Amino acid sequence: MKSAWLLVAGLTVLVLLSVVLAVSVGEDLGRGAVLRVLRHRLSFDAGAVPDPTADRIVWLLRMPRAVLALVVGGGLGIIGAAMQTLVRNPLAEPYILGISSGATAGASLFYLGFLPPLLSKALSMPLAAFLGGLLSITIVYLVARSATRLSVARLLLAGVAMAALMGSVTSFITFSSPDPDKLRAVLFWLLGSLHRATWSLLPAPAVVTAAGLVTLLALARPLDAMLLGDEGARGLGVPVEALKRILIIVAALVTGTLVAASGAIGFVGLIVPHAVRSFVGVTHRRLLPACFFAGALFLLWADLAARALLPSQELPVGIITALCGVPFFLVLLRRSTYDHG
Amino acid sequence: MLLVILAALGGCAAQPQGGDLVLVTDDLGRTVQLPAAPQRVLTLAPSVTEVVFAAGAGDKVVGVTTADDYPPTVASLPRISALPVDFEAIVALRPDLVLASDQINSPQDAATLAAVDVPVYFMGVRSLDGVLVAIRTVGGLLGTSAVASRVADSLGASLTALRALTDSITVRPSTLLLIGDKTLYAFGRGSYTHSMISLAGGVSVTESHETTAPILKDEYVLARRPEVIVITAGTDYEPSMLLEHHPTWDIVPALQQGRVYGVPGDYFVRPGPRLIAGAWHLAWRLHPSVVPAP
Repeated sequence: MKSAWLLVAGLTVLVLLSVVLAVSVGEDLGRGAVLRVLRHRLSFDAGAVPDPTADRIVWLLRMPRAVLALVVGGGLGIIGAAMQTLVRNPLAEPYILGISSGATAGASLFYLGFLPPLLSKALSMPLAAFLGGLLSITIVYLVARSATRLSVARLLLAGVAMAALMGSVTSFITFSSPDPDKLRAVLFWLLGSLHRATWSLLPAPAVVTAAGLVTLLALARPLDAMLLGDEGARGLGVPVEALKRILIIVAALVTGTLVAASGAIGFVGLIVPHAVRSFVGVTHRRLLPACFFAGALFLLWADLAARALLPSQELPVGIITALCGVPFFLVLLRRSTYDHG
Repeated sequence: MLLVILAALGGCAAQPQGGDLVLVTDDLGRTVQLPAAPQRVLTLAPSVTEVVFAAGAGDKVVGVTTADDYPPTVASLPRISALPVDFEAIVALRPDLVLASDQINSPQDAATLAAVDVPVYFMGVRSLDGVLVAIRTVGGLLGTSAVASRVADSLGASLTALRALTDSITVRPSTLLLIGDKTLYAFGRGSYTHSMISLAGGVSVTESHETTAPILKDEYVLARRPEVIVITAGTDYEPSMLLEHHPTWDIVPALQQGRVYGVPGDYFVRPGPRLIAGAWHLAWRLHPSVVPAP
């Protein structure tokens, strides 16, 4: 127990240091400029007012991007963990199961003006993405489920097929739209990028991710029971079918909101729960917070890598996460000894 | 067997079909075999069309791209898609020379056209003076050297007149030329636009950008604090849109001093004869007390 708290404390320090690094990379602002801005912005006394240019670059451009990376990475991390528990297989992940691409189809439909803005724009796009993701995962789940059990092979194949279908829908919508920047928009939705981050974009993903984390933590014990299998969980009094529905809705809601802000970023939800389990074990009360921190950290570093590799361009961060994630996926697929039938 | 026959037939079709041929080197350094006096010219970029018409060879143009709109007479010409290239439509127009722009077209497309025996000559414009060179070159290729030379001389005289006005200006505002106000497409290393800004009495912000066609980040612009921002979105562009799309730019000098200008896009994005008018327009925006309004 004590070691778990040490781990959380260590991750927190690591996250803070990484954020400082993330807001320091980019145009050269001169010695100490970044720290002056952070000191000024984070202390309540006004202090020495920093250079306004550095202030805008660090606080209004880089900081929301770093925070969005934390939120999206953390959110994908916990949803990955929840999906893996749902299907009792370590290969599950929102991107692989088609939730992300369903969400991009919904979000791009709205973004390009094909759907009416029901509420404010800040809420309608996540809503459209949520519905797209929910539709996609529902289809995948129904295809994979038989009367007695959930076929993992069918689940993965249906997920990949659904991801391809929804990706094509997104591309078709974007190419047939009047958007003058079609290719860039397609890249954004299909590969994911954090470049649209602003402070005003952050509340929706942050609130929904926090709500997702709280919900999953509240379900920690039933989730643990799920690891015993449907029968075992039922034996412990867990309403298994209801729990599965809740998990699917939470996964679609969080993924949809994150996709609306950053496009479909893959494989975070695959790598992170795995890496974390070997440190904190499988109990969800510890697994979920650790996945949140580790996912946040992973995406922040992936975005740093994307910015460092091609400094003068905007490399979609999803390319980096896929470069890390696909080999990981293949190794898992090869190593796993359980039945894929 | 059938393949052998087809290959042999293909070989026959690839033989030159009479007429004198010349070997020339285009602006990409490719050696191209052209008819000595091309009669049917197809242009693969609007800027190239404008150069051909300026060179006095407009009557030889048999087709232009769907993006062409200048000079107005191109409205009556057949149009083909250039992005992606509609090879069938090109072959159907039976051009004996295709002129392309190295800024827009791909040498791979030229290879496809070479396979159906259509020669492609690539033109590249790297500066304002390069426009004059391009006009003379096209005049030479198409047999209208006299007209091309006269037009190039007159455009050159216009450049000299502008240079006389702006040469002595010592306060040269740093100038950022953008192709879009939301996504910040700009001209990077090696672009002809830097020579326009320089001649107009400014200093181009993106001249040393490491890529040739960058998409700028907001912080790139913030860090460089341009004094003038020029957007190729037309003269009716509403400057306040820029702050709306980039709210952190409120401290950029160009926005603080109200020096954000929309300019006629075609004068800047098409490396053809109208660049000279673009340079005059820009010089007026940069130095309204020195250069007369267009």
